[in-house]
Amino acid sequence: MKEHRVKPIPNMDTAAYFGALADGRLMATHCGDCSHWTWPPRPVCSRCHGENLSLDTVRGTGAIYSWIVVHRSTTPDMMEYVPYTLALVRLDEQDDIYIPGRLLSDVEAFRGMRVQADPKKIGENIGDVIWKAIESDLPVSP
Amino acid sequence: MSVGNTSFPRGKAAIAGIGCTEFSKNSGVTTFTLAVRAIKAAVADAGLAVEDIDGLATFGVNDSISPNVLAQALGIQNMNFFLDQYFGGSVSLSVLGAASLAVSAGVANCVVVYRALNGRSQVRLNGANAAPSRQPWDIQFKMAQGYTIPAQEMAMYARSHMLRYGTRSEDLGRIAVLSRTNAVDNDRAMMKGRPLTLDDYLASPMVADPFHLFDICLETDGAVAIVVTSTERAGDLPHRPVKIQGAAWGGGISMVNNGYTDLAVSPGKAVAEKVYANAGIGPSEIDFAEFYDCFTYPVLSQLEGYGFAEPGGVPDMLQDGIFDRAGGQLPIQTHGGLLSEGYIHGINHVFEAVQQIRGDAAHRQVARHDVGLVTGQLGYISGYSSACLLVGG
Ligand SMILES: [Zn+2]
Repeated sequence: MKEHRVKPIPNMDTAAYFGALADGRLMATHCGDCSHWTWPPRPVCSRCHGENLSLDTVRGTGAIYSWIVVHRSTTPDMMEYVPYTLALVRLDEQDDIYIPGRLLSDVEAFRGMRVQADPKKIGENIGDVIWKAIESDLPVSP
Repeated sequence: MSVGNTSFPRGKAAIAGIGCTEFSKNSGVTTFTLAVRAIKAAVADAGLAVEDIDGLATFGVNDSISPNVLAQALGIQNMNFFLDQYFGGSVSLSVLGAASLAVSAGVANCVVVYRALNGRSQVRLNGANAAPSRQPWDIQFKMAQGYTIPAQEMAMYARSHMLRYGTRSEDLGRIAVLSRTNAVDNDRAMMKGRPLTLDDYLASPMVADPFHLFDICLETDGAVAIVVTSTERAGDLPHRPVKIQGAAWGGGISMVNNGYTDLAVSPGKAVAEKVYANAGIGPSEIDFAEFYDCFTYPVLSQLEGYGFAEPGGVPDMLQDGIFDRAGGQLPIQTHGGLLSEGYIHGINHVFEAVQQIRGDAAHRQVARHDVGLVTGQLGYISGYSSACLLVGG
């Protein structure tokens, strides 16, 4: 693991989430009453406002909705990757969940590119989201 | 409260004075000093004295100086209203709106709205040096990925507009050029005398593709202060009263999970509907507009959201000169905006709008200048926005 300098500071609402990322799993708040997903993890369901919530692992698959290519980074841990692509990925579970992360792909990003979450540990009980292109889902070049 | 609400105290409060410091890359003084100078200038412009102030209101997400410290320093013993709102440009006009409500309700008589920051020389808003524990919003969930700078997030939304409507870099470039053109002859502007062409824009380095360097506003040291009092009292003061006809809070699209699924839709639309309803004024009655322009793309998005263009229609209108200060149907960013005048977090937009409505904008003066729209950041990142409609008394 490469320890990052810039890290989130987990609290009671988020420690399990960041810890799961460090173990390679992407999770979201799941409502036991209405099945709605909420991400980032929150202490309340954003649809029914209930608190009967669990943090559940998502499939981790989704499609790129938008992306940027970072040419200047102010985040020390990321400077070695410049230029890098940050993808905003719409999660398969729910169409209003967009999760940003660095994209690992041999081809340039495009809308609809299928990706799989590949979380990485960046500190003690802290991980971050990396998106990996699903090679078998890429269009075949002519 | 519904969009059709009309109980806003339309035009009961007015702007009677404006003041500012120099806008620079290094003020050489503290934020405290900047605020004091802008406030003194504003009350003098209003024909009032510091002793007349009974309210102070500001906001900030990086560098700031709080109302209680200023009130003590200025010897104000009779404070009737204060507001120190956390956050950035999205609340820039909510603070002015709140001041107008306080004055309209008779809670305070003279509220000074100010913003002071050493945004270039001291506390830069680039994310990496922001302490994560102080960030109540969603930066915790994107900072480790290096997705921390507002430019990156807005570029992400700009891309979604490009994918949906075919918007191109040169379309955003025309907004940068328009802003710069309006700043070149503005004595306050950091970019005074420094014109920009579309070729310059396209040749500028990529920062967060699709954003070039010139899609991004200027980090600035400086302060602006605005004196709000009752319209009745403002009528006895030296300048044409600039009435706060309507103000609105709300709207916005945050990063995730608030029900929005189409990120190319302008998040300004919701707050636009509210400010029009509260003011009783629609887009066809607006003479000029100062849109919150931390970046180029938000200007395009607000032109759509505030009802001045159909989705995807802005590029042609830019080419047709519709938004030009000289001869355009709806002049915008008449001072050069945050992109080219300076980044005083949107309060400099209010300063310019007041000069325009008074008819004091000299060679920048637009032909029709009775009704001006001033907006806060359209509601990305924070998830909410604000706006005011200003009308000459
Ligand atoms: Zn629920």
